[in-house]
Amino acid sequence: MLLCLVATIVFFLGRLTGNPVDMILPEDATGEDRAALIKTLGLDGPLHEQYLIFVGHALQGDLGTSIRYRQPAVDAFFSRLPNTLAVIPWALLLAMAVGIPLGVVAALNRGNIIDRLVGTVAVLGVATPSFLLGVLLIFVFSVELGWLPSGRMGGPSHYVLPVITLSAFLVAGFARLVRSSMLEVMDSEFVKLARIKGLSETVVIWKHCLRNALIPVLSLWGVFIGNLVTGAIVTETVFAWPGVGRLTYEAVIFRDFPLLQATIILKAVLILSINLMVDILYAYVDPRIRLT
Amino acid sequence: MIGGLQLRKWALASLLVAASAAHAAAQTQTGTLIFAVESLGGQTLDPILEGRPGNAVYQAVMYDSLVGFDFAKGGVGPGVAERWVLSADGLTWTFHIRPGQIFHNNDPLTAHDVKFSLERQMAPNSLAAAAAVMRRTIKSIDVVDDLTVRVNTSSPQIGLPAGLSRAVAPEGAVMPKNYLEKVGEDEFRRKPIGSGPWRFVRSVPGDRLEFEAVSHAHWRGRPNFKNLHLLLVPEESTRVAMVRTGEAAIASIGPETMLSASRSGLEVLAVPGTMQAIYQFYGTYRPEFKNSPVANPRIRQALSLAIDRQQIIDHIMNGRAKMPFPFATFGYTEFLSHERWDKWAREAFRYDPVMARKILAEEGYPNGFELNFANTALPGTQYMVDIGTAIADMWTKVGVRVKLRHYEWGSFPPLVRGDQPALAGGGSMFRTAGRPDIPWRYNSALNTEGVGERLLGDASTCEASCREYLQIHTDLTAERDPVKRTALTDRMVEVVANTWLVVPIIEGMGYYAINSRRVGEFAAIPGRHELGDVFERMPRADQKPWKK
Amino acid sequence: MVFMAVFAPLLAPHSPIDQTLRDKLLPPAWVDGGSMKYLLGTDGFGRDTLSRLIYGTRVSLIIALLALLAGGGVGLLIGIVAGYVGGAVDSVLMRVVDAAFTFPAILFALLLSITMGQGLTTLVMAISLLLWASFARIIRGEVLALKQRDFVALARVRGCSAARIMLTHILPNVLNTFVVLVTLNIGVVVIAEASLSFLGAGVPPPTPTWGGMISEGRGRIADAWWISLIPGVALMLLVLSVNLFGDWLRDRLDPRLRQL
Repeated sequence: MLLCLVATIVFFLGRLTGNPVDMILPEDATGEDRAALIKTLGLDGPLHEQYLIFVGHALQGDLGTSIRYRQPAVDAFFSRLPNTLAVIPWALLLAMAVGIPLGVVAALNRGNIIDRLVGTVAVLGVATPSFLLGVLLIFVFSVELGWLPSGRMGGPSHYVLPVITLSAFLVAGFARLVRSSMLEVMDSEFVKLARIKGLSETVVIWKHCLRNALIPVLSLWGVFIGNLVTGAIVTETVFAWPGVGRLTYEAVIFRDFPLLQATIILKAVLILSINLMVDILYAYVDPRIRLT
Repeated sequence: MIGGLQLRKWALASLLVAASAAHAAAQTQTGTLIFAVESLGGQTLDPILEGRPGNAVYQAVMYDSLVGFDFAKGGVGPGVAERWVLSADGLTWTFHIRPGQIFHNNDPLTAHDVKFSLERQMAPNSLAAAAAVMRRTIKSIDVVDDLTVRVNTSSPQIGLPAGLSRAVAPEGAVMPKNYLEKVGEDEFRRKPIGSGPWRFVRSVPGDRLEFEAVSHAHWRGRPNFKNLHLLLVPEESTRVAMVRTGEAAIASIGPETMLSASRSGLEVLAVPGTMQAIYQFYGTYRPEFKNSPVANPRIRQALSLAIDRQQIIDHIMNGRAKMPFPFATFGYTEFLSHERWDKWAREAFRYDPVMARKILAEEGYPNGFELNFANTALPGTQYMVDIGTAIADMWTKVGVRVKLRHYEWGSFPPLVRGDQPALAGGGSMFRTAGRPDIPWRYNSALNTEGVGERLLGDASTCEASCREYLQIHTDLTAERDPVKRTALTDRMVEVVANTWLVVPIIEGMGYYAINSRRVGEFAAIPGRHELGDVFERMPRADQKPWKK
Repeated sequence: MVFMAVFAPLLAPHSPIDQTLRDKLLPPAWVDGGSMKYLLGTDGFGRDTLSRLIYGTRVSLIIALLALLAGGGVGLLIGIVAGYVGGAVDSVLMRVVDAAFTFPAILFALLLSITMGQGLTTLVMAISLLLWASFARIIRGEVLALKQRDFVALARVRGCSAARIMLTHILPNVLNTFVVLVTLNIGVVVIAEASLSFLGAGVPPPTPTWGGMISEGRGRIADAWWISLIPGVALMLLVLSVNLFGDWLRDRLDPRLRQL
């Protein structure tokens, strides 16, 4: 249902942006040449007809042939998808590794200068446009220091800078969430109970508070993965990472409608399925811990 | 104590060793040449599926073209065909093919392959840009013998061989008939073979293309490197970073980066004569613009005089650009009186704001007027936008109030079609690529029909200069005599130049940043932006270091 | 910041748009080769960085405010309606919101700017599209909670129309949340403007915006770092201060919103 909506929006909005034919034709083409090419690419006929044809094919699993790459759009998408997916888990992990401790520290020092300081550090990631961060990282670590490669996919060293750039954006979200979550938990009944029971402060914090505070973090996973899948364009461009973000961007620029439609629809499918999995995971995790 | 004879023996021996080492170095192919490029187009290795830029960047390395380059001057030269002759009636071109060429699977390259390739480019399912034109103009193709092909045209086509040279267009690519017919199209696309100095190894979509050098001698040049990798890196600052670290040997850059690149210790190469940045006026002949300032050629001339081209060259292009020839003409253009036009351009394109203001006042606009101007640029050519902004600024300084509108490149072509509502009565930035033949480019801008810009007139309104241009163009298509052709071409350039409707601002170049430790010094082909036919001629860093 | 924007024409020592090509690429005053004439250096066209920064404040803030009002406003409306009316309307609206979340926001903005031509209005519209969905979702949550409260029931009993209730009772109470959301999202908007400039869909030159300046200078980090980094630092400071302010505001107005 949702997909239909997304697909329809993409279809019509895309067509509004122009015609790929104009980008392919040489400068001395005649009107007939243009009409002929439009026919070859299947862009002739009234819009609603084209739409129906598109829907018909889509229901059979055929999302069209990319105009630019001359291969089925689905193939183009899936050949790049692993590249994007390869980076996402690392970005999440790094963001959590930095964000969660920050959130805990902030919660423990609520109200004083450390809280503010931690908040500031966390927000730094959101305060810098990712392309600037990426370019700066390349300049410092690759060009000046020569430690890491400048871009493109490759071995582990190629992952470092893109992952850092991607995760910077997420750190603030994790930190903030963990902080407020911790604060809530620290005030809750069973923690008070644990304190009364005489458990040491460290055990109280790390064992009980943190576990519960981390549950809402799962909810962020869904949102962030969605963000990463849809929004990694800038990072992929800067680091020449052949992923689906860059693919979609090029589809827009070159008016490659079939590819654009396919990528957006498939991305939506991906995000929906990931959200579903996260929801299930959440439901699974939540009541179980309560029993502890 | 070493005796004289022993010394001589030593000298001779070391000389022999050095000589054989040098000989061996010349023979061995080692190392990987890595080129970081902004775009790999559709990244398909089937010539009929890719457009001109993609073909020039990466398909050119593995396919040869029927007609090739003049490597020294730029423009057209021998290719797969050594020479070509036009019949007396002008309706048949006979191409004589160089003997001894082979494809990557060792099949010999014959006239059959040429005929097959041309027909494949023209086929209905071909997405080659010139397919329709070819279908219109080529009547039939005959194989005379293994090394001779005859192309019969329906009307005299003087420019046909040029159109099959990569200096102009990619449709001359020669594909292997036997192989393609044997394995079928799909397999050919997965494992393509050609006859070029590099053979295809693999393609990683969105990331890179890898090629391996052929080991036999090749008329284009036997590569000095063993491997060639073309890496797709869309972001320019990242490309430059890769050249600086040595991850890439060469990267394509824009003129604005030339300065930082050379300051960082990189070599920079500017290929001359690859394009012109131009501006043009639309629909000025229409009745509704009769009294508009832009309909007045003298005012248009004044606008050109108001532009300080040298300043644009020095500051926007960082010195890496030239004062232009007239529209779409370059140093290697055929059938042109170069000296005459060089002199003319120096005078015509000078910076004379005083004169500009004087003309404006004389023509009735002492306080200037308003002008709509559209700025647009190919992705990755920020300097074009900067040039547009700069000339708008310069025009404002002589009193012409410019209303600048910015369009993304893909949104621009629709504006040029039909009635041109957004553009008529105003001007826009534009560009033209470096090609050795003029009529083709003039036609696309000035023809009164078709999808071109129709700057001179359209089907309903075609005044004196418009009619004269059309007449010259028709005569030129059929004129065989070189002297007469030159006279006609000169006249055509003159007619158009005097209208000041489409005016070049600068002659631009192709720019590259080079890591001199990864590749030796080389020269590019004038007028050809892409390095697709140059890779095989690049020496290794140890063979020919960049002179300091 | 706001002060700078309003008084820009008086403060800026040079015109931000006029080019003096001969003065280009000068470093800031505290680096060798710089001068007091151009306090923060010049860019590739000889335009003074400081002046462009100041004028750019104006442009960037205008974009941000308009986008927030537009996007936020729409989100507010939808959130209230969906939350209060409930039922089928709620379902449909939330589906649309979900769809918006699965859509690549930046690309949508890109598509929009291509379709409508580049310019200030297009950019504002594009960025507001990024915001409305998250506003709608959060506001709706608030409204759902509010709906249960006594004074709402009272109003209903008294026979007030749904529209009246939404306007006079619900709206004022969600305004707190709205204001907090707006302040917290200023940073998002300004960063989005920068990213869109990078992708080529920002405000066209020569108008200075912070995002545009950062994007223009990114190729020159090696030798003319001030073109990108100075607006970059300014941007960072802006986002930091806005976020701190937003946090403080949130703590003040409604501790319940800590989840934000």
